[in-house]
Amino acid sequence: MELRAALEEQKDRLGHCVHCGFCLPVCPTYIQLGDEADSPRGRLHLMRAVVEGRLEPESDAYQLHLDRCLGCRACETVCPSGVEYGFLLERARALAVEARRPPLPVRLLPALMARGGARSVALAMGRVMRGTGIPETMAGRLPTTGVWGRLGLAMGMLASSRPSRLDAGPAAPAKATTEPRSDPPSRGRVAMLTGCVQSGLFAHVNRATRTVLEVNGWEVVEVPGQGCCGALHAHSGRLDQARDLARVNVSAFSAAGVDHVISNAAGCGALLRESGELLEDEAAEAMAKGVRDISELLAGEDREPVRGAPLPLKVAYDPPCHLHHAQRVTTSPIRLLESIPELELVPIPGAEECCGGAGIYGITHQELGGRVGRRKTDAILTTGCDVVATGNPGCQMQIGAGLLAAGESIRVVHPVELLAESYRRAGWG
Amino acid sequence: MSTTLPLVPSLPLILRGKLADVVGDDHLITDPDRLLVYESDGLTQYRFSPSAVILPGSVAELQEAIRILHLEGRAFVARGAGTGLSGGALATEGAVVIGTARLNRILEVDPANRVARVEPGVVNTDLTRATRPHGLIYAPDPSSQSACTLGGNVAENSGGPHCLKYGVTSRYVQALTVILPDGSRVRLEGAGRGWRGPDWVGLFVGSEGCFGVVTEIEVGLIPEPEGVRTLLGIFDSLEGAGRAVTAIISSGLLPAALEIVDQETIRAVEASVFAAGYPTDAGAALVVELDGVEEGLDAELELAASCVREEGASEVRIAQSDAERTALWAGRKRAFGAMGRIAPDLLVQDATVPRSQLPTVLRRIGEIGDRYGLTIANVFHAGDGNLHPNLLFDRSDAEELARVEAASREIMEVCIEVGGTITGEHGVGIDKRGYMARVLSPEVLQAMSEVRSALDPSRLCNPGKVLPDELPARSELPNEPLPAPDSGPIEVESDRHASELLAAASREGVSVAIGRGRSSGAPPGPHLRLSARGLRGVIDHSPPDLTVTVGAGTPIGELQEALRASRQWFPLDPPGGDDTTLGQVLAEGLGGPLCTGYGRLRDHLLGATLVTGEGRILELGGRVVKNVAGFDLLRLTVGSRGALGLITRLTLRLFPLPAVDRTLVWALDDPAEAARIGMRLAATGSPIAALEWIAGPGSGPCVGESASDDAVPAGALVAARLHGNRPSVEAMVRTLEAAAGIASPRGLEGEESVEWWERRARREGTGAVSVAISSLASSSESVAEATRGWVDLGGRASLHLVGGGVRLDLDPEGESAADRARAILDEVVRAGGVTPAPAPELSGVLGVFDPAGILPGRWRESWS
Ligand SMILES: Cc1cc2nc3c(=O)[nH]c(=O)nc-3n(C[C@H](O)[C@H](O)[C@H](O)COP(=O)(O)OP(=O)(O)OC[C@H]3O[C@@H](n4cnc5c(N)ncnc54)[C@H](O)[C@@H]3O)c2cc1C
Ligand code: SF4
Ligand code: SF4
Repeated sequence: MELRAALEEQKDRLGHCVHCGFCLPVCPTYIQLGDEADSPRGRLHLMRAVVEGRLEPESDAYQLHLDRCLGCRACETVCPSGVEYGFLLERARALAVEARRPPLPVRLLPALMARGGARSVALAMGRVMRGTGIPETMAGRLPTTGVWGRLGLAMGMLASSRPSRLDAGPAAPAKATTEPRSDPPSRGRVAMLTGCVQSGLFAHVNRATRTVLEVNGWEVVEVPGQGCCGALHAHSGRLDQARDLARVNVSAFSAAGVDHVISNAAGCGALLRESGELLEDEAAEAMAKGVRDISELLAGEDREPVRGAPLPLKVAYDPPCHLHHAQRVTTSPIRLLESIPELELVPIPGAEECCGGAGIYGITHQELGGRVGRRKTDAILTTGCDVVATGNPGCQMQIGAGLLAAGESIRVVHPVELLAESYRRAGWG
Repeated sequence: MSTTLPLVPSLPLILRGKLADVVGDDHLITDPDRLLVYESDGLTQYRFSPSAVILPGSVAELQEAIRILHLEGRAFVARGAGTGLSGGALATEGAVVIGTARLNRILEVDPANRVARVEPGVVNTDLTRATRPHGLIYAPDPSSQSACTLGGNVAENSGGPHCLKYGVTSRYVQALTVILPDGSRVRLEGAGRGWRGPDWVGLFVGSEGCFGVVTEIEVGLIPEPEGVRTLLGIFDSLEGAGRAVTAIISSGLLPAALEIVDQETIRAVEASVFAAGYPTDAGAALVVELDGVEEGLDAELELAASCVREEGASEVRIAQSDAERTALWAGRKRAFGAMGRIAPDLLVQDATVPRSQLPTVLRRIGEIGDRYGLTIANVFHAGDGNLHPNLLFDRSDAEELARVEAASREIMEVCIEVGGTITGEHGVGIDKRGYMARVLSPEVLQAMSEVRSALDPSRLCNPGKVLPDELPARSELPNEPLPAPDSGPIEVESDRHASELLAAASREGVSVAIGRGRSSGAPPGPHLRLSARGLRGVIDHSPPDLTVTVGAGTPIGELQEALRASRQWFPLDPPGGDDTTLGQVLAEGLGGPLCTGYGRLRDHLLGATLVTGEGRILELGGRVVKNVAGFDLLRLTVGSRGALGLITRLTLRLFPLPAVDRTLVWALDDPAEAARIGMRLAATGSPIAALEWIAGPGSGPCVGESASDDAVPAGALVAARLHGNRPSVEAMVRTLEAAAGIASPRGLEGEESVEWWERRARREGTGAVSVAISSLASSSESVAEATRGWVDLGGRASLHLVGGGVRLDLDPEGESAADRARAILDEVVRAGGVTPAPAPELSGVLGVFDPAGILPGRWRESWS
């Protein structure tokens, strides 16, 4: 079995786990279930048991507990031994899906995403549906369990993807605090990963990204040959598909001759950054080095974005796991939001915990995903914020659906949408 | 060392059904594959798969499950986060694991009384996270604190880097609710909660899950220190770092933490992704952390830095910000994880030696490593003498594994040889059972085993842990004739003498009273009365270790006198003052105002010799600061008032004499107003050594002038005692004066301050009616109100404003005064708000020490 060999090759990486248990209290599934088999240490122990030949990959235990992992990688951040959990999980899942064919909905979405045509049709249908306003109405009203619950969640997610009007203070263009130079000196050339969900349902986020990049002096280069990043495939153990998709992007972006490849979706960004490890080739490695999250490019340690007009909103920032834990981009989004005049940033208790979005987790693990999500919604509601900001489409939809289900009208936006709005009010873009 | 138990007896279907009925199918795990993840804890050398895991969601479920397991005769073991490093939570004998992860609620945080009540599954740091908004923290901070649970901490009596100054878990646990191995439930309370009797809480803390499952824990909190200073000293050699530790301790500083990492560790950390920027050619690095009143810290830091420089540090780094502080600590805190990156396997040892022996022991560990050709990296709590040698190896190399095991054994032998112990904080568990007979006498092992049997006759609760399977034979009891009973008190001359007398009394069934005080009561019928008064004087004082061993008959004053030359002392001011003997303080569980700043005697009791009712001589504890080898019978002696036997000797941990001893006294006309002011002072969170409210004769406002001491003031005093260096004491004075809102309190310093408190202590406990009543600090005002009548009768009253607790003395004149006094006492108890729990049904444990039933534990009617 080839995949088993692949996991066995990771013996060293597994060996780094000293069994200290530091990762238990940060794992959302362990927090909810209290079973160590649903903790990072437990999952690693199961992987190791497979490698040691004490456990079969098709066993219920291996299947169930690896499947239940959100892939949020909170465990990596706290691990004193530097265990590369996310990397191991992808390999372990590959072994799991090979041993047992996963159920239809789990197979469906990655399959859809891998096919450009089918994907566009589905996303367009989603937009039409969203436009009717029906999803929003349904989201708060459907029962929360069973098929109806799944539908309600899907509707809530769809509703949450629509562009938000940001009602705060005078909407009329005000004077900016700092005039941007009328013709900003070019800082460099960047390419944007437009993404599939992002371009299909969150075109407004992509537009905002482009605006803020340009206001800050970055030239945005079109890269038509790009496609789906393959994150969904990698996370669900379809490494071969993921590699195929990644190769397409590596060659497209490498050919673009840009300083940086920019992502505004944490999950996609994380995959791009890790494409070197995924493909094990130099071109991928080189491309990966240039990848930045939009917040890093604008508000990394050594820089600040151009200041726009005041946006007097109370904003709660929720870090997407794939930005915070996987890419370790923790302060830039906060610095970006802090640069907006009069915007008040409020902390969410336990912000670094997963919202339960994790791809289609809410659909496949309705009950557990719901519990993880409710914990996030409850935490957000303690802040009294007007708006939640988070830099990943999945999180935007998941949190939005949670708030809708709780009957709340708090909107969930991408941080760049707030920055773009601040620029719009200043009369630029 | 590597043990695998492949065949686990599976759970019978009926039992499975019963457990599922209690906890629900979702919280019962029986699939052997899923159970694999429970086969190890933080120590991966051992693998024992449980037959099932249950995850109860409530205490009621947990209790019912234990009742069922007990009835079915099925072994069980509690498991917190499984971070233990001695295999304590492993399921030997096909035990059922009871996971506490779902019992993780913080039930109450009570800032006014500085206590919190939690379920056992609460993670250590989550508690402090919840209390910090109130300016309070939970002090014990094991390095695993972000993951380990309070239930686990209680079971292991965990320590941490900061326990050098703040003490280990045992000091902070005030009450416990435990489901005993038979499924019954007991509530155990400590001295602060109204209980007077053997320290059951002390016995249960550190019992490694063998005495039942803890379901509720009440812990004390401390004000978060105002300021912190952190210093890193880089040394060419380990010896230099060790000498710097000794120099710092001898300088009179009491740092919050003193931690050393050696060269191997530095290299491991620097080679890993966690490089902390320590120079890799350094022989050792020493982290010194000081905390306390902001104003006093720079002087302390300077002193510490000069000690470090004088002992030859090649470099001294001082943290200027939180980020820098984290960076200085990084090399220490990351050590464990970093080692996981440089070697496939790691064995963390844990042993404590007297601090003065550190250089010798470290040298010998180095030699052992060389001899066996092994890499041994040392990371340790230097201030406590608590060593953690890490042996790096590769398990797949059987020959290397054998060398590791041999080296590990030799290291233990070295530690034992120099007067150390086999575990300072990780516990015995499964791992160190084999060493138990090396450090504990057959008598002590047998007593531990019998205590365990008394609490768990069927041995179902965490079997196969702590005690070795075979116990060595005890020596014969003496067989001397019994002296004539009722012939007056007999002053015991030696352990042997006490043993002869008690063995004879047990044989003949003659009752024995211990001590001369009234607290032992009047035994029924003919009896012997034994006293330890004759066992007087300092037996051994080791200034560099800050430890002393004294005879139980030594008066406090005599001890302080003997320590003065080395500028050390033991902070203790119980009723009766310096004339009270240490044995009496221990046996009666006495305390005084200084408990506020220093804790009780029990918190610094390192060892004691107990001659049991049966006549067995038990050497309990030792002379090291951290010791978790076996059950804490030592703590059980505290407050036992002769119920276990006669205590002949105690070993205590000492303190440096404070540079400045200052007392502030406010005199107020209204006792209730005085209490309110006192509570405001307490609320400042200043590290006050003592804070008392005092009323009645002898507490006159003209303090310090003995002629007026007997004046009867109308109101009450509030007295605060402050210890520290001059800048910190002065800063505290300013803080307290501002909080009091009343100008110019009377200030006393140095000898005057010492004497004022001594006079106060001597007056206590002298009345014909003399009682101590527990009360909540938050009820101080109502308690003060309730004692008005007492003072009118001519009585004296005092009250600890921080921990609570009232002391009342009176010589009532006539029947009506006595009646009135009784009524007032009832009122004070009500006002105090502490309802003492009834004595727990644990008399079987006392029977271990007194099988013939000759001691007050058996004939006493009540403990109060
Ligand atoms: C990296 C690392 C660093 C560490 N640093 C320290 C340190 O600085 N100081 C220190 O003292 N220890 C340290 N430890 C050891 C360990 O973390 C402590 O012993 C801790 O208290 C164990 O807590 P736990 O919740 O993991 O308990 P577990 O490991 O789950 O259990 C430990 C014992 O407690 C018993 N137990 C658990 N819950 C209960 C309950 N509710 N009632 C009765 N018994 C119960 C179990 O049966 C078992 O015997 C460290 C461990 C690691 C891995
Ligand atoms: S924190 Fe890291 S080393 Fe510790 S148990 Fe988790 S994965 Fe293993
Ligand atoms: S990735 Fe998230 S859900 Fe999965 S084990 Fe790690 S912390 Fe738990």
